[in-house]
Amino acid sequence: MKDLKHLYYFERLLEDANNDLIRQAQNDGKICVAYTCENVPEPLLNLEGAFSARLRAPRTGSMEMGTYYMTSFLCEYSRALLERAIEGGFNFADCMITPDGCTMMNRCVENMELLKTNEKEKFFYEYMEVPMKADDNGLNLYVLQCRNHILKPLQEHYGIDVSDAAIRKAVQEHNRVCELIRAIGEFRKGDMPRITGYEYHIITMVTYAAPKYLLIDKLEETLEELKTCQPDAKNRFRARVVLVGSEVDDVDVVRLIEDSGAYVCADRFCYGSFPGRDPLVLTDDEDALTQICRQYMYRGQCPRFMNQAKIQERRRYVASLAEEYRADGIIYEQVKFCDPWAYEKMVGAHVLREDYGYPVLAVDRPYAIGVSGQMRTRVQAFVESIEIKKIQGGAKRG
Amino acid sequence: MAKEVGKDRLGDLYTNGKVRKRREWRGFADTLYDYWRWLHIMGILAGFIMKPRNIKAMLRYRWMANYLAVPMMLDRHTQGLRGEYLRICHTEQDLVVSDVAKLLNNLFRGDRRIGNDTEFSKKVVLVDENEMTAVMMGFPTLKGLSRETPSTYVSVLLNQNAAVHYIDVAQEYGLAGDVCPMPEAEAGVSIDDDAPVLGACAIQCNTTCDGSLMSNGVISKRLELEDGIPVFQLAAPLRHREADVQEYAAQEIRNAIAFIEEHTGEKWDWDYYFECAKRVNISTRYRMDWLDMNKTDYPQVFGSNLALYTETNYMAICGKIPEFVEADRKIDALAQKAYKAKKKMAKEYRHRAIIWGVQSHFYFDFLLWLVNCWGIVPLTDMLSMVSTKTLCEDNTPEGREQAIYDIAWLTENMIMRNRTHGGYKVLLDELWEYVEEFHADMVILWEHMSCKALNGMHGQFEEKAREKGIHLVWVTHDLFDPRVISRQGVRDQINRYMRAVMQEEPLDPSLEILHDEHSW
Repeated sequence: MKDLKHLYYFERLLEDANNDLIRQAQNDGKICVAYTCENVPEPLLNLEGAFSARLRAPRTGSMEMGTYYMTSFLCEYSRALLERAIEGGFNFADCMITPDGCTMMNRCVENMELLKTNEKEKFFYEYMEVPMKADDNGLNLYVLQCRNHILKPLQEHYGIDVSDAAIRKAVQEHNRVCELIRAIGEFRKGDMPRITGYEYHIITMVTYAAPKYLLIDKLEETLEELKTCQPDAKNRFRARVVLVGSEVDDVDVVRLIEDSGAYVCADRFCYGSFPGRDPLVLTDDEDALTQICRQYMYRGQCPRFMNQAKIQERRRYVASLAEEYRADGIIYEQVKFCDPWAYEKMVGAHVLREDYGYPVLAVDRPYAIGVSGQMRTRVQAFVESIEIKKIQGGAKRG
Repeated sequence: MAKEVGKDRLGDLYTNGKVRKRREWRGFADTLYDYWRWLHIMGILAGFIMKPRNIKAMLRYRWMANYLAVPMMLDRHTQGLRGEYLRICHTEQDLVVSDVAKLLNNLFRGDRRIGNDTEFSKKVVLVDENEMTAVMMGFPTLKGLSRETPSTYVSVLLNQNAAVHYIDVAQEYGLAGDVCPMPEAEAGVSIDDDAPVLGACAIQCNTTCDGSLMSNGVISKRLELEDGIPVFQLAAPLRHREADVQEYAAQEIRNAIAFIEEHTGEKWDWDYYFECAKRVNISTRYRMDWLDMNKTDYPQVFGSNLALYTETNYMAICGKIPEFVEADRKIDALAQKAYKAKKKMAKEYRHRAIIWGVQSHFYFDFLLWLVNCWGIVPLTDMLSMVSTKTLCEDNTPEGREQAIYDIAWLTENMIMRNRTHGGYKVLLDELWEYVEEFHADMVILWEHMSCKALNGMHGQFEEKAREKGIHLVWVTHDLFDPRVISRQGVRDQINRYMRAVMQEEPLDPSLEILHDEHSW
């Protein structure tokens, strides 16, 4: 199958945290709101005059400084971000908003602050408390925190319009991107998919890492291209899998899985498209902020949501994706040292296998996977086991 | 064999086995006192084991075997102690032992597999081990019982290897080996189905860390989905010093109380709550007095005498048990007496240290070793630096509203979480404030290797210590798992620093290297 027309362009954007589109948007006079967790409602960072950039550390090599400050026991994602910040790699950002979500990411940003890694005059750090349960009390907290730690500082420091009308406008742009990503993702459902999991991952990740308004035309073109492109005559994949777990920054992760024979038909990891690219539905009978927070909270699949109803829903959600995208198996992955996903992976793997009847591979991995032979072997063995199950009839799904 | 403090070679009492060679001779009066207290503990154990259901529990639950080591635990914590220090230790620990025995009794009474007293079970609310029990301060007729406290927390205090089996169970089930072994072991107990099953409902809390929060999910899966015990997850805010989270925290408490009322049929009793609140305030005032005393040249209630008792009294008791206030008074009288007489716990105090971070649970008597071996005085520790806020005692409509916020505040400021969460200021900046307040020249920084919240500030601790000219000694350990770093591995880190950097010789050289890897 031919590469997508803009794939190289998207790949290039992901090679640098401070990519061409970020520079272009800043030249347009917009401020860059950096963030580190999916629990920060994205549209609020994309109000008129601002745009969001999810921090990544592409092409990570040594993490020695990050390791000195945070030891080798913290997840490599947080150490890679700190390393990049110390190197000055995030100096383009105009502020940083982070929830006290996972401890490691919180410590990473605190180190950035203590080490004064950004010296822009108006630069500020904001730490949010985000709910750990989906209920009315959690919603009140979420709304208040977004108001106090996103809207208020953006208005005070940079004069951003944080009115209800401005928020609704930002949601429109957000939804346009979500609709395009969803529509592109639909092409993963067919027997002979027109887009690989790798390509889809690149496109989705770009929408988190670059200003959305500068991407829409390229996304629209990509969607049109997919409508007419011809899939390969012979399917090179031997199994279809849903990838679930910690954030996947390294473009090689999905590529390695697919090169090992497993087509990634759905992405349920942090900053994946499920549920991150679900459009937000706004009505006129309630303020936009509350509606956004409610939807982020109830649809959130973050493992730190702690009530059992939400925990069970997470597993049902994975199973429903597997069913909708006709997956043969599920891969649970975690970045090494990630506590939330370590537990979620353990129980999720058992539940999806025993209660839902899916073959499950559970792996932990480094932040930058490169061409890990170990990972390749695990995935290849998993694909073979799925094939053997198919030949032998396998266990019936419960 | 001496009456005087610091005359004996305490290391000579160690063998390669589980227990020490013989009991310590402390002079006639102290030895007699210690022996009398030993008999008292044996009495508690005998009283416990005489009940048939407790024998049944000994055979059913693997972790119960650790309770054979109770006398040994007390011996470890009284090494080298004389006079008031010995009496303070026994006052505290004997009470804790008796309290744990009652807890076990109650757990097995209601346990469906053991006593199966269904009426009693209906009056039980299960709580986390790592959870302030403040939410139970208004339910005089209910029992808030923690299953994790006896199965893992206390077990590891008794036997350093107690959690190893459950850690392995969790890892065999698929849990990564790099998470904190404490919630990991608790999850292991649940996976192994090795916890008593009882209670009308349970209250879990997002306590100390991500690992603890996630482990609760494993436990509640069994509780709710298999045992049919409804669970309320109490989400205390992480950024607990911020004003804009307090209303949320208070509402969580209201919701938790309503949940307990719904599932037990009991009503919150404000009179009882304020009675407990008064006792919490009394305990807080005593703790503050002892901390003030520790800022002088003659600290009295410190080391494990402070740490273990504070953990129990502050978190698990929360004013519900009057005996603890009596113990506070007794300890205070002993401390005041020793202070007036300018007494010292060891023959020489060389360094004044703040103990920071999460201490090695399988080696809790390390604090005593510090004083006995090197003359390092552990003035206070991170887990003892908890809330000193006075709770409202007015049983009025306004006082009741304030009380909800007080309960929320206590819950947010649970031991450990009040430092590991809430931003770097509570962990990093306040340490240096305590160093000044307590006139410390040294910080012993426990580096619990799986504690991400602490490790995440590693470099910042180092840089600040350098800047302030404070000796910072890292002591790495893995909390519940002595296979990763042994007790001697813990001691070696201090020994190396004291010899190489401080160029000092130990007060008691026999304690420098101990063969206690097989010891309880």
